Amino acid sequence: MTANESTNESSGATRKNDAGQASRTADTRQAVRESESSHAGRESDTSRVTRSCPRSEPILVGEDLTLAYPGSDEPVIGGESLAVELGVVTALVGPNGSGKSTLLKGLADQLAPRDGTVLLEGRDVHELGTKELARRLGLLSQESTSPESITVEELVYHGRYPHRGFFDHVTESDHRAVHRAIELAGCGHLRERELGSLSGGQKQLAWIAMVLAQDTDVLLLDEPTTFLDLHHQLQVMEIVETLRDESDITVVVVLHDIEQAARHADRIVALDDGEIHGYGTPTEIVTEELLATVFEIEAAVDVVDQGPRITPLCPISSSDS
Amino acid sequence: MSGDEPGVAGSAATGPTADIRRLGWLFDPGLVTVVLASTLVVVLGGLVQVSFGAYSMTPSEAWRAVLNPDVVFNTQAWNAFLLGGEVPDMHERSLIAWNVRLPRVFVAVIVGMNLAVSGAIFQAVTRNELASPFILGVSSGAGLMILLTLVVFGSLTAFLPLIAATGGAVAFLIVYAIAWKGGTNPVRLVLAGVIVGTVLGSLQTALFFFADDVGIVQSAIAWTTGSLTGTDWQQVRLALPWTVVAVGLALVGSRQCNVLLLGEETAKSLGMSIEKVRFALSGVAVLAAAASIAVAGIVSFVGLIVPHIVRNVVGSDYKQLIVGCVFVGPALMVAADVGARLALNPVQIPVGIVTGLVGGTYFLYLMRKKSNLGEI
Repeated sequence: MTANESTNESSGATRKNDAGQASRTADTRQAVRESESSHAGRESDTSRVTRSCPRSEPILVGEDLTLAYPGSDEPVIGGESLAVELGVVTALVGPNGSGKSTLLKGLADQLAPRDGTVLLEGRDVHELGTKELARRLGLLSQESTSPESITVEELVYHGRYPHRGFFDHVTESDHRAVHRAIELAGCGHLRERELGSLSGGQKQLAWIAMVLAQDTDVLLLDEPTTFLDLHHQLQVMEIVETLRDESDITVVVVLHDIEQAARHADRIVALDDGEIHGYGTPTEIVTEELLATVFEIEAAVDVVDQGPRITPLCPISSSDS
Repeated sequence: MSGDEPGVAGSAATGPTADIRRLGWLFDPGLVTVVLASTLVVVLGGLVQVSFGAYSMTPSEAWRAVLNPDVVFNTQAWNAFLLGGEVPDMHERSLIAWNVRLPRVFVAVIVGMNLAVSGAIFQAVTRNELASPFILGVSSGAGLMILLTLVVFGSLTAFLPLIAATGGAVAFLIVYAIAWKGGTNPVRLVLAGVIVGTVLGSLQTALFFFADDVGIVQSAIAWTTGSLTGTDWQQVRLALPWTVVAVGLALVGSRQCNVLLLGEETAKSLGMSIEKVRFALSGVAVLAAAASIAVAGIVSFVGLIVPHIVRNVVGSDYKQLIVGCVFVGPALMVAADVGARLALNPVQIPVGIVTGLVGGTYFLYLMRKKSNLGEI
């Protein structure tokens, strides 16, 4: 056992120590300790870390997933496994084209795996009805299009689609869920505005409200902060943390910015060229070695109170690949 | 009707106001204006149609002939009109109004309604601003069958309405089958529709060469550009049931259209069985288009522009859009038919020519005026 209190406190997973989260924080702390113990041995075997460290129970599991787009022979993700832990924020990071979004689509059953299965709470997602899956698992795609003239509130009501039958009217619980989602996403003041009149950041908040109205246990977000200004980026990440802390929602989020992932996520999955290169807490994953091998940059990593801080130095030429 | 989201008012509804809010979107000022204006156009157009012709009446005579209580409240008369029974004795003017001229107006209403609704649905299904009821091969399939019937199988002319409608529906199924490869998408559908349309269109044009009678050619042109000449209660009886079904389903399906407009990925992640919904909605749209083809031939342009005109006023919410189309389609069609029947009196021209001229001109005017016209 090499874990000492100082590394523990600085790891991303143990930052949330408000009273209401005491029990889970204790769990995570335990998990971190466990993982710290295997840290030394993992350097050589980064792709299968999940089994080496018992953590909180998995809710969404991808087993030996091979994912490819229709009409293409080359799989984007080649036989990878991933167990998303219940009630934590997991960030998928990796360079462009590493398969982050593809993995997310595979987990959401938007892309049928060529091989392998995705289990949500032990059940194959492919065997759940489309609406039943959508009541448990929400996915916000990277680029969402909508008519310009739809209002924020109308958009958010569409999030209730999986909860309504073909002929069902809007019920009281729909109204409540929509109201809550709009409040949580902090776009109450935009309720009546048409989407076409909003800024990129405001639009993103509206879409997040829509997926929140779906009222799912698991939320998959594909690059929700890309192209947003810093204010909206922080707002989005704050929503994600609130969901975890107050509603026990499991969030898997693709993030372009690894430093953002280090700061806000409890677990990081590093992907490179369709392979899972590492899985663990931010301090375990965000290392100079990983930045060099996965992101091909030379960088200095300092562990500060907010988690690892990255100072990118220069790109490493990839003549060997 | 299903799928009622509060579109007008603000916060969450509670208690007795919920019912009012549920239908609140119907009272959107834009929608109400569109509905009232369209109804006015239909009534005025109908009055003109009833007044003028070989047997002329003054508008007040026409008005009284139409509102003649002996006809309006006569079950035997309605039995004759809607079920094809014996027409009872009535005043000459009422007979002309009710048995000759009004049915044509009603057919125009039915055709306009069907085409507008069909076009609106296809624009959502294909997410394409240029979609019309005929984008997935319906018109070319119907057109080919019309030509085949008139030129080759002359003995089947009595069944032409049904053959044309069936030809359109079969062409749609062929297009869908071609576009299907473990699922489909709007681009594949539209491409397949254009290509099947081109192939069938060539065959149709080729068949014109084998028409040896100018009467047959004129008849073929009337059918392939759309005409209401000679329509009466029989056409109303033929198309009305399908129209009721298609429009009803379109209203029910409007929420699905709204979700489709959020894009395929979002619709899927919301749990929509997208292939089923897309096929079902297309089926409804083809039913509507086929019903209009059966009674009026292939009237182009109405299904393309009416949804844009309505969208321009009420926005892209399909619940409002479909309701608007149910009224604006008939308005355009009835107004165009006034021109088709009376402009070159006594010669009648196919109404499809007038819809192109009237509708096209109005559409160009809108395009000049509005910068964002045509966005779905």
